[in-house]
Amino acid sequence: MSDSSSGVGSRIVPVIAVAALFVVMALTALSAEFGAVTGFPADASIVHNIGYALFGLGEYDVTTVPAEGFLAAFLIAAVALDVAVDGAVYLAKREEDGSIVAAVGQALTDGGDRQ
Amino acid sequence: MTAVAASIPPSWYLLLAATMFCVGLLGVLTRRSALYFLMSVELMMNAANINFVAFALYYGDLTGQVFALFVIALAAAEVAIGIGIILVLYRNFGVTDVTVPTEMRW
Amino acid sequence: MIDVFSYVPAIVLLPFFSFLVALGGGKYLPKGGAFGGIAATAGSFLLSLWVLATVAGGQVANRTIYTWASAGGIGPTDVELSFGILVDPLSALMLVIVTLVALLVHVFSLGYMNDEGETGLPRYYAGLGLFTASMLGFVVADNLLMAFMFFELVGLCSYLLIGFHFREPGPPSAAKKAFLVTRFGDYFFLIGVVAVLATFGTAQFAGPESFPALAEAGEVAWTPGGLALDTWFTIVGLLVLGGVVGKSAQFPLHTWLPDAMEGPTPVSALIHAATMVAAGVYLVARMYGFYALSPTALAVIAFIGGFTALFAATMGVVKDELKQVLAYSTISQYGYMMLALGAGGYVAAVFHLTTHAFFKALLFLGAGSVIIAMHHNEDMWDMGGLKSKLPVTYYTFLAGSLALAGIFPFAGFWSKDEILYEALVHAPGEPLLFGGYLMGLLAVPVTAFYTFRMVFLTFHGEPRSATARDPEPVRWNVKGPLTVLGSLAVVTGFINMVPVQKVLGIEGIDLLHLWLDNHWGGIEGLSSHHYADLGPYSSEYLVGGEVGTVLVGAAVSLGLALAGLGLAWRLYGVPSPTEHTAKLGGIKDVLYNNYYLDELQVWLAYRTEDVAGVANVFDQGIIDGVVNGVSSVSLFGGNRIRRIQSGVVSQYTALLTLGLVALVLVLGVTGGWFL
Repeated sequence: MSDSSSGVGSRIVPVIAVAALFVVMALTALSAEFGAVTGFPADASIVHNIGYALFGLGEYDVTTVPAEGFLAAFLIAAVALDVAVDGAVYLAKREEDGSIVAAVGQALTDGGDRQ
Repeated sequence: MTAVAASIPPSWYLLLAATMFCVGLLGVLTRRSALYFLMSVELMMNAANINFVAFALYYGDLTGQVFALFVIALAAAEVAIGIGIILVLYRNFGVTDVTVPTEMRW
Repeated sequence: MIDVFSYVPAIVLLPFFSFLVALGGGKYLPKGGAFGGIAATAGSFLLSLWVLATVAGGQVANRTIYTWASAGGIGPTDVELSFGILVDPLSALMLVIVTLVALLVHVFSLGYMNDEGETGLPRYYAGLGLFTASMLGFVVADNLLMAFMFFELVGLCSYLLIGFHFREPGPPSAAKKAFLVTRFGDYFFLIGVVAVLATFGTAQFAGPESFPALAEAGEVAWTPGGLALDTWFTIVGLLVLGGVVGKSAQFPLHTWLPDAMEGPTPVSALIHAATMVAAGVYLVARMYGFYALSPTALAVIAFIGGFTALFAATMGVVKDELKQVLAYSTISQYGYMMLALGAGGYVAAVFHLTTHAFFKALLFLGAGSVIIAMHHNEDMWDMGGLKSKLPVTYYTFLAGSLALAGIFPFAGFWSKDEILYEALVHAPGEPLLFGGYLMGLLAVPVTAFYTFRMVFLTFHGEPRSATARDPEPVRWNVKGPLTVLGSLAVVTGFINMVPVQKVLGIEGIDLLHLWLDNHWGGIEGLSSHHYADLGPYSSEYLVGGEVGTVLVGAAVSLGLALAGLGLAWRLYGVPSPTEHTAKLGGIKDVLYNNYYLDELQVWLAYRTEDVAGVANVFDQGIIDGVVNGVSSVSLFGGNRIRRIQSGVVSQYTALLTLGLVALVLVLGVTGGWFL
């Protein structure tokens, strides 16, 4: 999908805004002071530890890399994904002849022929 | 013993993330097609993810990486809804140009 | 021992309650609130008689009922503002007069208003009730500020009652005129009240701490710019005189009274003959201890009074309507009272006030009776021959007219004669006073002339219209008050027969003199001999000493009155009188148009309007302009700024970004991120 651009003239404000934002962020980043460096232990399995963190198993002595517990967030994210799928399906439904038509329903029951 | 040491100073990562973010923002502000709009939003979110992961490495705390995972998941959810909205937009206005619907005005 | 003076507020409040009753429930009452009004004024009358008897027994009252602003440092002295009552011989007498006339007018109204089928009666009786209450409050007021408040209330009731028939064009205009003209005078009165309060710290009329007493002792708290005391007292006196001139319809604020005749006739009888216009004269009499200290103010009062007496009498000669003649007569007679006050004749003025209240109310009620009979046609040239058809009215009207003209032995003779006598003996050496005396004397034959012109045109001769041939009969509620007042017009003169006392040497028959001289008790400092001591006048008699002067004065005034009567008889006491006044030609036009004073006042009002126009331009252009300008900035700004919301989401996001940048910058700079 080509995007018709109208030249720089009508885009000067967004460009200036973005440039200003970049300058500000860069200045902040370069002038910030960070604490001491600590990397990950060499023999730690990152993926395992991510899993432990997701399920909130931090209080059992299985983690080798420190992390916070994300059990509640994990469950909420699951629900949110579920809701998103349902929402997308609902938004995609079409209204035809007064009745709500689902693309999937029509695709499965029209015998393959399209009118 | 630190293995995967943070030999690159985090300010570089921050600059990279800032650049990506600003590019994405430029896309949001200037693109007229709704799908490109969504793609730019994705770019902005991934810029934030880079930040998360960089600091997770630097401070040796996995919270950043887990958070980035969540962001990816929710970005996917948001795109799903976003595509649905674009579909409805197309149905009502006939085009997917974001400058065409101007109902939220004075 | 019943303290009768604790019932004095009831005298004021009874008519006030009848006002409330008539206002609230008048339309449910049988006569529209009339009986409430009659009962209330009868109650007040009986209480006033009781008060009179008590004062005659030697008791007086000068007490504060309610202090509504206590001393706390207002002005140069600590001023205390209160309501109170002052009952002394003068106010007790005035109470009886006012309540009696009010009662008779209420009874008369049954015949004039109810029997004639007028509408809006509750409003009428409410107005009468409120007026009576206000007038009585004014009479018993113990300080100048309270008197001023009731003065204004009385003016308000006059406005309401004159404009009673407000659906016709005349009455509301006349009501407005009455209110505005008296208000103009009251403006000066108010300044005078404030001046009194500022100068003396008190506005009390009586007592050792009253302002006349303080003025006499020369103790003032403040004078503006260090003026001499005498000058300042004169100025204050003249300021208060402004209100008096307006309310008592003296020149130049007399123009409202003839137009006030648009109101119903009982209203004219009560308000514009006997009570409200008496308020001005009563006020001067009340404050006489203060006025007596200022010879200039007294001279001005006398001259205005004498001039008004003659001036109004000349205008009364050419009028065609019954009530108009009586209106000018009222103005003229109040001129006499002012002449008396200015000439140092305190008792004479009060005497004339009393007799005038009775005979003028009588004349107005008689005119009301004639108007009922003539089906509300007031033109005297349509009347005639009513003598045989309305005998009670005729004889009482005749009694009143003889009293007005000053014919012996009716009431007006005694009082008018005493006024002229006082003016005469105090006049030598005072040119203004002498001028006033001459004008008052010249007004006597004119008064007699127009009075009897009125009588002859109305009652004598042949009827000149169908209504006059067959007039409507009047009932007892009209004839009753007329009879009462008629008898009073005959006998009231005998309460103060000073000439008889002086000529025949009988002591003790000048009852009013003794009454006002605190003979039977009164308040120290408010007696007539005290005023005479304070006043600047000394008596100089003509040939023959005191007795001779009395006889000469009486003879001259009686002779002039009889001459006026005789001329009127010759010209108008014929079966078919003609308009003799037309022979005066151009003078008649001037007189008929009231010397064009009404037009002058309207012209002055228009010039004031022009001045006010400048202020109006300032107000609308600058003040309103500034306020509107401020709001237009907001409107204009909002109108422009709202165009940012174009509806395109990308632009909203751009604004978001800019805002974010600004915020982060501010936070960074103040948080020291970059430094």
